[in-house]
Amino acid sequence: MALEAFATSQPLTLGVELELQLLDTHDFDLTPRAQDLLRELSRHEGAWDVKPEITRSMIEIGTSIQRAFAPLRDELQDLRGQMSRAARKLNIGIAGGGTHPFQHWSAQQIFPTERFRYISELYGYLAKQFTVFGQHVHVGVPSGDDALWLLHALSRYVPHFIALSASSPFVQGVDTGFHSARLNSVFAFPLSGRAPFVLTWEDFGHYFDKMTSTGVVQSMKDFYWDIRPKPEFGTIELRVCDTPLNVDKAAALACYLQCLCRYLREERPYEPAEDDYLVYTFNRFQACRFGLDGEIVDPKSKQRSKLRDDILRTLARIGEHALDLQALEACNLIRDSLFDGNDATWLRGRLRVAPSMPAVVEAAAERWMT
Amino acid sequence: MTPLAQQFADWFATALRGPLAQLRGADPVLGLALVVLAALVVANALHRHLKLPRLLGYMLVGTIASPALLGLLQSGDLDAWKPLIDLAIAALVFELGTRLRPRWLLDNRWLAASCVLEAVAAALAVGIALVMLGAPAASAVMAAAVAAATSPIITMAVVIEARPRGQVAERLMTMSALNSVLAILAIKLWSVWTGLGAPGASDAPAILANAALVVFGSLLLGLACGWSLDRISRVDGDATTMPVLQIALVVLAALLSVALGLSPLMALLVAGMTARRRMGHRLTVEPYLGSAGAALTVLLFVSIGLRSSLGDLHALWPWVAAIIAARLLGKGLAVAATARPSGLGWGQALALSLALQPMSSLSALLAASSFSGTAQMAGVDAAVMQAVLIATTLMQLTGPLWVLWPLQHIARECELPQESRRHGA
Repeated sequence: MALEAFATSQPLTLGVELELQLLDTHDFDLTPRAQDLLRELSRHEGAWDVKPEITRSMIEIGTSIQRAFAPLRDELQDLRGQMSRAARKLNIGIAGGGTHPFQHWSAQQIFPTERFRYISELYGYLAKQFTVFGQHVHVGVPSGDDALWLLHALSRYVPHFIALSASSPFVQGVDTGFHSARLNSVFAFPLSGRAPFVLTWEDFGHYFDKMTSTGVVQSMKDFYWDIRPKPEFGTIELRVCDTPLNVDKAAALACYLQCLCRYLREERPYEPAEDDYLVYTFNRFQACRFGLDGEIVDPKSKQRSKLRDDILRTLARIGEHALDLQALEACNLIRDSLFDGNDATWLRGRLRVAPSMPAVVEAAAERWMT
Repeated sequence: MTPLAQQFADWFATALRGPLAQLRGADPVLGLALVVLAALVVANALHRHLKLPRLLGYMLVGTIASPALLGLLQSGDLDAWKPLIDLAIAALVFELGTRLRPRWLLDNRWLAASCVLEAVAAALAVGIALVMLGAPAASAVMAAAVAAATSPIITMAVVIEARPRGQVAERLMTMSALNSVLAILAIKLWSVWTGLGAPGASDAPAILANAALVVFGSLLLGLACGWSLDRISRVDGDATTMPVLQIALVVLAALLSVALGLSPLMALLVAGMTARRRMGHRLTVEPYLGSAGAALTVLLFVSIGLRSSLGDLHALWPWVAAIIAARLLGKGLAVAATARPSGLGWGQALALSLALQPMSSLSALLAASSFSGTAQMAGVDAAVMQAVLIATTLMQLTGPLWVLWPLQHIARECELPQESRRHGA
């Protein structure tokens, strides 16, 4: 299969996808009720989209194309409201969070579609272990070359998004010590990690042809990179965020990315290089393991600093762009979360108050649904 | 039968006559213990080889040992075990109460309507069918009230064993609790109605006050027990003591409700709901309230089999068939009518309609507001009563299949037999 042409889209437009947990309201374990909820939401109002994910305990929602923080947040709140009403009617809980704290992967059921069955047969138990929940943000770019330049320029900021969105400290009933343990599940897939360093769509096409000729991949969907181009949408897609515990945070993260993209495109503070990736895995690990308290090494200056401080400095740099994009409120929300702590910290706090994993999940569901 | 087969049957009967006669003469307590042991072996064999629910095996062995077949035990032999059987029922009902979420009925008004409608439709269908077949109207009303209920104990036992996850199972638990409560209320109202006309009966206000006392007294007792469980567990809420505490509270609630003339079923359901509401995730309820409760549950289902009543089936079969068919039709139509607005798919509606079919021996006992085995239904035609008991027997013995098969094969809310084999279960 040849690589499809890169569709043109308006620069800096946004689309947000969120993978959500479906919960049993009795014990707050995951429950395989996606079909019930999809049927109930089939006549929903609004331009947003809702669709199944790989296991029957997950559901994915996607916003329409947005340009600014306020309408994006409004749409996400409307979406949250309609979903919550439908879920209450069906006695289902819905929550954000990158992992379910105590579900057992072997109890999950693959959603019955051709694509998910193919993934299940190809990856075996990894497919069920992929019952993790992420936020994907699409940013519009005018061409494939622009997409690849921006994708690699953004790699320096990937740890920001991991640390800010981290909400997966617990796996299989245990505190992992990580802020984002979800990405450890993604690492298990052979085509995860960073995209190859090519800066033109033509070169990317050569790479894609080589990969398809090996039979390892069939389409762009087989790449689970942290940031990947999405030619049919004309976007790049950031995939490292855990699903936050509320929609306001999801909207704020998307707009923080939008501001960064504008800053990089307009000011071109540096040119991306292959060597930027020398520190990429280290920075990524620090963000996953320690969250906002982790360290980041600047790939250009080789300076080491706290992630929290690096995000503060970045917020200061992108202030004017945030003003132009009407995203100041989003940046303020991001700034506040640096001091309040990320969602992983909140979840650990809940476990200290009510030392029971189901109680933590119930609190997360309340936070999402109200 | 061929001559060879006849010879074998004669030999088998002769061979069994001696041991059976000896068993019939044995101490009834020892006899029941032996029947329970046999039930465990048979149930495990049925479960392992045919993937049938264990409680089906328990009830089958009880039925085979009952006066209706081998006559190894008589109904009176159960008297010594009655407190333990009552406790097993109470534990299952309490556990059902902890699984209910009344808030769901407020969030989904169509579901609330569906719960009431399926009970009323089943009762109406059974009542009309019996009257059309010539049953006395007053007796048909009582039979209709009994037919409204779905067995909460069979529902709960299958749910515990098969661990389904989905809204059919959740609705089934909610509906079996609600239609049992509605059956209690209907029987109480019927008692008030018939009591007013009886010679020497109390005056109407006294009878009404008694009915109100049963309803509100049961609610208050349940609230008090749930509240007490919460308070005591805060003082000594150790995970190891929690099952003991729960059994103690369940025994207390059951005994008090019988002593005060209240409804144990209502009291225990409310106790379970109250405890869940107040304690949240601090309330951990082990299946059957722990291993002791599990042992008692075996005894309970064996005793249900022992109480099987199929006498006069050859004469009463039209009424029995009418009760079963009308109930199926009534519940099925009501569930289908409210399926889509309440958020249920057509396949799920079919699964729920079938799963609601097990009849409740409790519903026959409800008239006495207690778990005692010999409920008196004054004024009910004996033939109608016997038809109800036969229908109840049939729909209890097959009850686990009515619940499990639709959950596995239509709603797909629990593992199919081949899947559980693959997982080594």
